[in-house]
Amino acid sequence: MDWDQCDLNPKVIAALKKADIKSIKEILNLSGADLQRLMKLSSADIQCLLKTVSHMLRRNSMLTALQLYQDKDHLSSQHQKLSLGCSVLNNLLKGGIPLVGITELAGESSAGKTQIGLQLCLCVQYPYKYGGLESGAVYICTEDAFPSKRLQQLIDQQHKLRADVPAETIQKIKFGNNIFIEHAADLDTFQNCITNRISLLLTRGMVRLVVIDSIAALFRCEFGASESVLRGRYLQTFGAQLHRLSTRFRTPIMCINQKSLMPIFFNSVVDKRVSPALGITWANQLLMRLMASRVPQPEQSLGVVSHHTGSVRTLRVVFAPHLPPSFCYYTVNLEGVRGIK
Amino acid sequence: MQREVGTLPLAPALRARLVAAGFQTAQELLETGPCGLSKEIGISKEEALEVLQLVRQECQGDATRSAGGSGATRKCTALELLEEEQTQGFIITFCSALDNILGGGVQLTKITEICGAPGVGKTQLCMQLAVDVQIPECFGGVAGEAVFIDTEGSFMVDRVVDIATACVQHCQLIAEAHQEADHLKALESFSLESILSHIYYFRCRDYTELLAQVYLLPDFLAEHSKVRLVVIDGIAFPFRHDFEDLSLRTRLLNGLAQQLIITANDHRAAVVLTNQMTTRIGQNQSTLVPALGESWGHAATVRLIFHWDESQRLATLYKSPSQKESTIPYCITPHGFRDVQPPAVTQEAEGTEMNPRKRPRREEEK
Repeated sequence: MDWDQCDLNPKVIAALKKADIKSIKEILNLSGADLQRLMKLSSADIQCLLKTVSHMLRRNSMLTALQLYQDKDHLSSQHQKLSLGCSVLNNLLKGGIPLVGITELAGESSAGKTQIGLQLCLCVQYPYKYGGLESGAVYICTEDAFPSKRLQQLIDQQHKLRADVPAETIQKIKFGNNIFIEHAADLDTFQNCITNRISLLLTRGMVRLVVIDSIAALFRCEFGASESVLRGRYLQTFGAQLHRLSTRFRTPIMCINQKSLMPIFFNSVVDKRVSPALGITWANQLLMRLMASRVPQPEQSLGVVSHHTGSVRTLRVVFAPHLPPSFCYYTVNLEGVRGIK
Repeated sequence: MQREVGTLPLAPALRARLVAAGFQTAQELLETGPCGLSKEIGISKEEALEVLQLVRQECQGDATRSAGGSGATRKCTALELLEEEQTQGFIITFCSALDNILGGGVQLTKITEICGAPGVGKTQLCMQLAVDVQIPECFGGVAGEAVFIDTEGSFMVDRVVDIATACVQHCQLIAEAHQEADHLKALESFSLESILSHIYYFRCRDYTELLAQVYLLPDFLAEHSKVRLVVIDGIAFPFRHDFEDLSLRTRLLNGLAQQLIITANDHRAAVVLTNQMTTRIGQNQSTLVPALGESWGHAATVRLIFHWDESQRLATLYKSPSQKESTIPYCITPHGFRDVQPPAVTQEAEGTEMNPRKRPRREEEK
């Protein structure tokens, strides 16, 4: 940090250099008394220094809620969301997946989670006015091989799924070229992938969606039952890294999770069945949690089932800061995932 | 020291002579000294000394009286403190059960901490409070503004719009029922746009930015003197990773807590923090406890823990200096944070007689 460029008293700058303090973070990490001792300055000078560096770090960062609400610029607006490609599913989520934050899609196997993940990888490539982000996606596989045949099927059928988009627009997009596939079967590879590959792709603006399928597989084998604390630390570090990337590049991170890792949510505080460290540690990192299931909900009316040949699945919002707990039905067809009204 | 000569408690004749001689402030008298004074107004040296002694005593008395207001070495009795506390405002939460166990609502000048698992409603309550703090005084609010410091990115303005719209409608209903002039006048400036424009939003992406923001808070509150609520949602998120050295974290958190207490007191604002839950592994079982460790538990004056019982959300008052520990149910509706509606039929047609806290059941509410 070049203190000479800062708006500080020369004697303070000299004291900073002499005390070998190199960054604003170091200054804020020290207490007022420590700073006085290290820099041999008076308490008033230290207060002034703290306020000045805080100001340098945080200048012009205030917005009113009204400004947030009226912001329509697709580069910064909260109203901008990533569409799921189906209006029923988008309505459930009031527009789509929020751009900043980690969204989790949990559920039992073959509920359709990978299908939704693949669909998002295609949706992100559409122009802004069709709910996309005009960019590619990174798909990280942690257990099975990437379903490339299915992806090709989906690409071929895009015109059928996205009837709202004119055919020329769809034809212009080279879907396959913009999906980057990574395989990471263990934590170290995964860590490497996030730190290097994903950061690079994001910095270059080549992707604006990260799908991790699935996060559960990474943690299942590596930690024994008694290592839950260590597992919790890893989860927190990963969560924080992903969160930082998401905030910096305004990129949604979609984590697919298996149901066994989800704690039984509707139970009281003292519950022996709450999975120690992992369930709630991971849940604390999330902005939004969705659950996909094959089990028909008790409210499912017979009329809904009889109209659809494929099995009807349910997509439920478990928690989100802007959505009530709600659900909708969907099916998985040749062209992709479609909600049922 | 700038006290005018005419106001000093001297004999009137003496005062008149001083003013006639051209002395205007006490400072000038003291600077002149006894010899100069006796020569100027023609009194003996002893009299001049007496005058100067009196002037000094008066000025010292003034000084202690004015310094006493800032509270440094002020003495006051417990009765004065009680009276002061009773006039402190409360920010209502629109859930009357919660307001009751808190003793009226979220109290100004105190730090309230809300802990809970993800999805239980902490951010919802924070957004509700950011709207409720702005309710005009004639409707029972504190007519303040709100600062919202977001570390997790969970502040969704669309949700705040829903909550604010419902709050304005609620006040409109009360105004219609009572038809008082001050209600209608207050409603003119209490609209969705005005509510949104008085929520000041800061996004802090790591703990360094949060620390910096809290250092800048006193100046910001001095400029925006109507702010009565500071929300930090959540305090745990930036402090739960990144720290190899937990003693550094404890020290930073303690410093943060101290600054927030001072800010809350000096500016008569309520500080609301949200905290995560973590698992504590005991002998046979694991329990959920608030995160950030035992020492952080001392930072907040009032601690609320939100949790689930089957599918019912509950709020427990865990720590409070004046209220007893109790648990109440609450729910989150499309209009915001509310009481659990009892399945009564009495609420329907009674627009005029209704308790303003209870809202009549409408079709759109679940």
